[in-house]
Amino acid sequence: MSTESQTFTEKYDLLGCIQCGRCTGGCPVTVRADLNVRRFVYDAYYEEKLDELARLAEIWDCTACHTCAVRCPKGLKPLEVLLGLRTMIIESGKVEPTVRDALQSVLLEGNPWEKSRAARSDWMEGLDVKIAEPGVPVENLFFVCCTIAYDPRVKSIARNIVGLLNKSGVDYAFLDESETCCGSEVFTLGEEGLFEMLVEDNTELLNEYTAKRLVCLSPHCFTTYKTRYPDLKAEVIHYTQLLVELLEEGKLNWKGDLQKTIVYHDPCYLGKQSNVYDEPRTLLKNIPGVKMVEFERSRERSLCCEGGGGKMWVESESKKERLAETRIKDAKALEADIVAVACPFCVLTLEDAMKSLGYEEEMRVAEIMELLGEFVEA
Amino acid sequence: MKMFVCIKYVPDTSEAEVKVNPDGVTVDSSRFSFDINDADNYAVEESVLIKEAKEGDVTVVSIGPKKSDVMIRMAMAKGCDQAVRIEDDRIAGHDPLMVAKALAAAIKGQEFDLVLTGCMASDDGHMSTGVALAEELGVNHASMVKKVEVLDGKVRAHRELEGGLLEVVELELPAVLTIQTGINEPRYAPIRGIRQAQKKELKVVSLDDLGVDPASVGSDASMVVLEELYIPEVESSAEFIEGEAEEKAEKLASILVKGGLV
Repeated sequence: MSTESQTFTEKYDLLGCIQCGRCTGGCPVTVRADLNVRRFVYDAYYEEKLDELARLAEIWDCTACHTCAVRCPKGLKPLEVLLGLRTMIIESGKVEPTVRDALQSVLLEGNPWEKSRAARSDWMEGLDVKIAEPGVPVENLFFVCCTIAYDPRVKSIARNIVGLLNKSGVDYAFLDESETCCGSEVFTLGEEGLFEMLVEDNTELLNEYTAKRLVCLSPHCFTTYKTRYPDLKAEVIHYTQLLVELLEEGKLNWKGDLQKTIVYHDPCYLGKQSNVYDEPRTLLKNIPGVKMVEFERSRERSLCCEGGGGKMWVESESKKERLAETRIKDAKALEADIVAVACPFCVLTLEDAMKSLGYEEEMRVAEIMELLGEFVEA
Repeated sequence: MKMFVCIKYVPDTSEAEVKVNPDGVTVDSSRFSFDINDADNYAVEESVLIKEAKEGDVTVVSIGPKKSDVMIRMAMAKGCDQAVRIEDDRIAGHDPLMVAKALAAAIKGQEFDLVLTGCMASDDGHMSTGVALAEELGVNHASMVKKVEVLDGKVRAHRELEGGLLEVVELELPAVLTIQTGINEPRYAPIRGIRQAQKKELKVVSLDDLGVDPASVGSDASMVVLEELYIPEVESSAEFIEGEAEEKAEKLASILVKGGLV
């Protein structure tokens, strides 16, 4: 057995797997793709099979939702075997042009959306935003996220929170154009080298700011900083955790009321990967007039929207119903008026599904910060 | 197979607003992202594919600032072997003939079979540098190449012509080919490959190092004078016609009649 095989086997602890099948039993994408993660964990042990396994299209179906990791009784992360196989393809350079362009954009411009770094702070236009300075202590240093900074659909997440922070008197600051991709999707696309570089560079950049906490607007950045940046000095939290503190301190003043039924969709990266389930619900149920309902599959059993795992840049070959469509249909059955989420990717995938199902007249997909922007005084 | 591939570092103007600087002849590039010129990226890939199939050696040649090194390193990560970057403000970059002279100076005196470059730069769109380079080097050329077949001492180039025609030509080597986009699928340069490419030689040279008289490639030698850059004024507007199909058709017909178009 070669060193490479030993490395793969050791790296993913393949010998720790007892082939119990809890991973495949919980994998949400199996209903629409041929992905069988247990089979990959089994076969990857054989060095001679690795190249062949890496060429199978289904390694790109994984959304990195981590259900398999949550369910594994041995504490393994079966999905990471798939990411390891993706790494082999990435390092050969023969990847889908969409993946190539996204990764190259992260290297050159610090974001996967092929946008100029110089435009990263454009979302702040017309707002009074406090900008962080290296060495100047700050309680809450905000990390916006590439998608929120550039995508016009979800920019309001950042814009709305600024007004709320200014009003509440919280000690905060945002980064300027130097903010660089956290690498969440770089990691799941399998570009290990680029991810290592981002961890090194971002750790150095963020540690220059004397921040007590790093407050992430996206669950993807949140979980990535929390779990994959060992040398980060600041405590990492999600913005909903900060807002619940403000709520408890009486610093959120409600205005108007929302006579609507809301169902909250747990984003995989916030819920099952980081155990933040209650804060988003607390914020939503405090909006005056709101009636909350729950999905049958909620919290750690929440259905993935298929926005993670680099899937924003890899189209599934399956023509079967998208999980986001299943989710919207479930919301419809619950007679929900609003599907609330706390993740920019979930907004994009669920809203797309809602539109393709033709429900846009009667239903709305909204990020929590969009709703708070409408119902909290700023 | 000894090859050179000439590449250019260009701004992406598709997202940021283009603003002309007060001097009237340059553009404010502070908000642009920069990357390899699209067609040149295909030329790099084609050179690496030829190298993989026939063995050989590829040298990257580029005129540009230090910050373009990342683009050159990416080309070397993909398989190019070494690079020469010409850094000299005295080259009249707006004139393809002057650019071709400078590029030729970096190639002349060395043996080569093929020189590849993109068929067009996305910033100035001249489509002339490659052809001028062939003239400077005194070798054959084919432009807008969509397919390359390397034969014994020759190359068969499939050229894309106007009207969707394809022309197949055979050229004696050495030759210059200007590569059209779509000829291949450029690969990704993984970061570990870029790091390994740091070991490959990237020579930075000036016109003096190349033995080129700056006056021969500067503005004074150029027959092209860039007088003014301006954003074209909007001279017409678009009107969206609202309503039911019949209503829309009626409104459209009335606009066409009033405008004297029917």
